[in-house]
Amino acid sequence: MNTNTSAAPMVGPRDRESFFEAQRRNRRATWGLSVVSVLATVVMGIPLALTITPLLYAAALILADIVSIWAPLPPSFWQHADDIARYGMVAIGWLTQGKAANPQALALGAAVLLLPGAILSVGLWLGVNALFRRAGVGGALLALKAREPNQSELKELQLADVVQEMAIAAGLPAPKIMLIDAPAANAAAIGTSPNDARIVVSHGLLEQLNRDELEGALAHLVASIGNGDLRIAFRVTSVFETCGLLVAIVNSPFGSRSRGTLWRIVRYGLFGKRDTESSAQEAAAVATLLTRSAGLETDDIDNFFDTTSRKKSVFRSIRNFLFFPIFFTNMAIKLSLWFFSFSMLEPSMALLWRKRKYLADACAVQLTRNPDGLAEALRKLNSDRGPIPGGSWASHLFLVSPAASDRMSDPKANAAQQQMWVQMWAASEASKTSNSSPPAPTDLPSVMKQVTATGSAAMAGDANAMARMTAFRQAAATALGKSVDEMPNLADIAAAQHGDKVALQHLAEFSNKMKANQPAASDSQETTDSSSSFAGFFPSLKRRLKRLDRMGAHVELESDGGKSWIVIVVLAVFLGPFALAALALLLLLIAIMVLASLAFLMVWMAFIHELFVVFLHH
Amino acid sequence: MSTTTLIVIGLVAAALLIWLVAVFNSLVALRVRVQNAWADIDVQLKRRHNLVPSLVGAVQGYMAHERSTLEAVTEARTKAVASSSGTVADRSQAESALSGALSNLFAVAEQYPQLRAVESVQLLQEQLTSTENRIAFARQFYNDEVMKFNTVQSTFPRNLFAGMFGFSPATMFAAQDAERANVQVKV
Repeated sequence: MNTNTSAAPMVGPRDRESFFEAQRRNRRATWGLSVVSVLATVVMGIPLALTITPLLYAAALILADIVSIWAPLPPSFWQHADDIARYGMVAIGWLTQGKAANPQALALGAAVLLLPGAILSVGLWLGVNALFRRAGVGGALLALKAREPNQSELKELQLADVVQEMAIAAGLPAPKIMLIDAPAANAAAIGTSPNDARIVVSHGLLEQLNRDELEGALAHLVASIGNGDLRIAFRVTSVFETCGLLVAIVNSPFGSRSRGTLWRIVRYGLFGKRDTESSAQEAAAVATLLTRSAGLETDDIDNFFDTTSRKKSVFRSIRNFLFFPIFFTNMAIKLSLWFFSFSMLEPSMALLWRKRKYLADACAVQLTRNPDGLAEALRKLNSDRGPIPGGSWASHLFLVSPAASDRMSDPKANAAQQQMWVQMWAASEASKTSNSSPPAPTDLPSVMKQVTATGSAAMAGDANAMARMTAFRQAAATALGKSVDEMPNLADIAAAQHGDKVALQHLAEFSNKMKANQPAASDSQETTDSSSSFAGFFPSLKRRLKRLDRMGAHVELESDGGKSWIVIVVLAVFLGPFALAALALLLLLIAIMVLASLAFLMVWMAFIHELFVVFLHH
Repeated sequence: MSTTTLIVIGLVAAALLIWLVAVFNSLVALRVRVQNAWADIDVQLKRRHNLVPSLVGAVQGYMAHERSTLEAVTEARTKAVASSSGTVADRSQAESALSGALSNLFAVAEQYPQLRAVESVQLLQEQLTSTENRIAFARQFYNDEVMKFNTVQSTFPRNLFAGMFGFSPATMFAAQDAERANVQVKV
């Protein structure tokens, strides 16, 4: 859509909302949402702390018991331990049975139950922050294989110039710009603060956008750097990574995969050097692992408690019995993490991030005073989404969400294949006759229709159609570089349709050979996982274009007609109570699991402590 | 008056004083930003002065018949450099004259298609376009800062004290009449 085709020249102001107002509105919204996100994190932390604390106490108790084998601890230590336990019991009693307790004892009990877990979580979060801040930008750039723009090439000189212009308009020091040679059109601002911010642009973007649209896109990125979005993004990712780290720690007694992840983190933390390529890739890999492992995975546990295993032994049974309470705690932690992250944390953070993107859009309009550029750029970027190799862990920083590298939707490979089929069909036509038959169609769907029609005609006995199919087979063979005999013939296809096994096998072999010739798929699975987990962080193109239209862009918007509102309301009315009931049930389940894990752990602790006392002490 | 009243009055006066200091500091900070933005425009103008000789040298060989246009550009540039230590009015006049001469040159260069194939000329043209853009954006940023400065000065309650502290509204950068007039294309 280009601006030349707008119907009548607009006289007078188009913008119903100046970008200054849009900025004010979005800034207010982000303040509110930040508060909500912090609250969500705190609320998530409570059941977490409740489950982690007993684990910590258990570990401390066992450690104390082991230590007092050699160096008996003074009785005041055990006295304090008893006091702590008593305060905890008071708090639990108040919670579960409503036993009255004076507020002071209650406060102490709450502190006893919550503090150690809270301190551990906050400590982990700070550690994750320090770890990834140390990674710096250079590492990420190396992982993306970014290079500096070559100033003797026109398009890249334009890119460097446009960044400088936008920085001047914003009154900020110009962030360094780097280029990656990916065909997909996308750009991102990476870094942890405006000082070490870099803008990364893909080559595909340079090719597709003209100067105005490039200006709009870069203005958005420069504005988001200036607004401090990098720091917000860093905090958002680090919260999710801390959850992943907690899950890995809690899983580690049970599974080798979590232990491997933990080992990688420790190794990177102790030995990773700044700015080398391998440590950068290590950082990116660790980040991906952490953000993915925050989901509910039970493979490790299943392997551990594998009751159908062949190696039954007494040792195993004893080990299973001993570790069962920890299994409960493990499930409680994972379930509550997943529930709160899914219902509270992710939505509020996604909403916050979307508002920041709207704010960056409004600031971009202020910088360029030209909302059309950004609108057109967003449209173009959205219609050609492709994977950015090496950028999956930071996918929410891009302008539009990079799509998974699915072979079916990879436009360039698909287009090449389609061209091939169309050419083969046209070649078969030419080799048949050269008189006045209708010109061969050039798009795949109609070609496929013709192929199937001719095929059925051939199988029904039409001689012309049979000749055409034979010619098609010949053309396909030459195009694919195979001998005619290797191609499946009509008899095979007909027999396969009736279920002939030999024919089916022939066809299967053929399709395998075809697949072997096609380019190998990149790591599509990984990209799918992380880009889908950050999918809600991007505002939809329609909404962004609507806001840009309010600020004066000339975009064509499809009108809803109000129908979607009705559907949403009806769904909410009917499904709302069910969803709420489901949420309440889940919450109840989590509460039960937390308390059950507490109970189990207490019994377990008492049991082990008694063992020590009986066998090793007085 | 009782001591509590005195204490309350004292606290209120202290709070007012602190607030006045904050207002003064914010006004100073905004004025410094305005001055900085003004100086940034000069930086971009100087950059243009430096680029013009290279452009003229690059296209001279191809546009041998357009000596008058090229000479006009060189002359305008010399005048602009000379006036960069003069008054603001003189400077802006000289700079807009240079802008006019340059747009004349670009318009004439459109008629030489072979220029488009010469890479060095293309790069130089891009650099000059970018410089014009940078000047425009620097002026836009200056205007935005002036707007912020003037708004803070004129809104209540700060407007009561701004004049007392010696702040006055700054003037925005307006397009010169010479730039608004149509550009004459010499064919």
